[in-house]
Amino acid sequence: MKIINSHKNVSLEYEEDLILKIESLALKHYPNEFGGFLIGYYSDDLKTLVLTDVLSPNEYKSHRVLFERSAEGIKEKLLELFELNEKRYYVGEWHSHPDASSMYSLTDLNAMQSIAESETIRIKNPILLIVSINNQKLKNYTFYLYDNNTLFEYGRK
Amino acid sequence: MATDKTQHLQQVLETHRMAHIEKLLDKYKEKRQEVKEALEENYKDKIYNPINSGSYAKHTAINIKFDLDIVVPFKRNSFDTLEEMFNDVFDFLYEKYKDVAEVRKQKVSIGIIFDADDNGDEINIDVVAGRELNQDQYTEDHNLNLFVNSQYGLLDEKTYIQTNIQAQIDHIKGKNNERSIIRLLKIWKTTNNESYKSFFLELITIKAFDKESISGNLWDKLKSVMEYIKENITKDNFTLKDPGNTNNDVADTLEDWEKTNLSNKMSNMISNIENNSDNIKTYFPINEEFEEEDENKGQYGLKDASIVAPSIPNKSQQFG
Repeated sequence: MKIINSHKNVSLEYEEDLILKIESLALKHYPNEFGGFLIGYYSDDLKTLVLTDVLSPNEYKSHRVLFERSAEGIKEKLLELFELNEKRYYVGEWHSHPDASSMYSLTDLNAMQSIAESETIRIKNPILLIVSINNQKLKNYTFYLYDNNTLFEYGRK
Repeated sequence: MATDKTQHLQQVLETHRMAHIEKLLDKYKEKRQEVKEALEENYKDKIYNPINSGSYAKHTAINIKFDLDIVVPFKRNSFDTLEEMFNDVFDFLYEKYKDVAEVRKQKVSIGIIFDADDNGDEINIDVVAGRELNQDQYTEDHNLNLFVNSQYGLLDEKTYIQTNIQAQIDHIKGKNNERSIIRLLKIWKTTNNESYKSFFLELITIKAFDKESISGNLWDKLKSVMEYIKENITKDNFTLKDPGNTNNDVADTLEDWEKTNLSNKMSNMISNIENNSDNIKTYFPINEEFEEEDENKGQYGLKDASIVAPSIPNKSQQFG
């Protein structure tokens, strides 16, 4: 799947299998929210981001309308991915919205702003994926790109 | 409207990235390779492999003023004296490039400024000739003696200085937070015509991070480092040890009055910016040449010239 962010004129690619994996993780934690770290790599010209996997947090708090993930232990995993011949990077975050839309909240925007401003984050445009689920399945999902304190939605080509 | 200080500083860093001048940088790299090969060809087994050093090797370069450095490690028995070595390298480079460049003796290096090409680009390459401290030990310890051609801090003219370029490069490895602040202070120094040495700003920034608890957003960090400089630089016992030679105190490159001056400048900058956030633009200006390009260039943005370090989330985050 390839989608485009028209604000930044960049694209995002991912396999349907990755969405199925995320759906399964989200459903497992229903009716609470769940989420984690998005992993991927950039094309040499930095025009395309390819999502390859997700990492789940070692520690988290999960509620119906709130998800808090810790960063505990993630450094070691990310450094391992960075050492691979085909380097993989932390590129953003995902979480579920049980029985709610895939629209981001103010809390989500603030989290992405904090992430982008962190000195240990070396990317300027982290990605946010929100998956809307009910008790049975994934209803919808939306990818956002963070840029200058704003989240910009990706759209189909 | 007040200026968002952190956002502004991020844009300052972004517009001063080396990636904006890729074509010019390629020319620099090409010239550096050419000079390196000429030195290797001329000195053959008198030298070890020349290494790249300077701000580009340390990822602290800014695109408004930079050069590329080559360190040429000579073997202990290659010359009787360091002065002979320095002069021989100068004579060789002068003869080789006198028709296409200005070749000049600098404090501890030889500068080659190639004449502007058709696009008006001038290429600066600095060559640092060093001699290993002990016979056959360079590959083990990387210690070098450099000839000091002119007044260098407290050192007299025509003396020598021991250093270790590799240790200097290693000293800053992996220090992303420090690099951002070093680059900002270099932008301040360059755009405000300050004469502080980049190496001095580099060491004092790293020391500030070592000694103080520096955290928060980019402005918080820059301010903490400036406060550290303001509070400490004039103290009698304040030193900045060169990681390449702990006997070399880089703080000594400033006279006492210059230290007081620097402390006052830091103090003024902090209060002026805190009183009116717009003042940050005077001390830390955006490189306007690349301002528009930055806005929407069809690329995912990186804070560094390339992915030199992975992004590591370091704190908990709440999502709703």
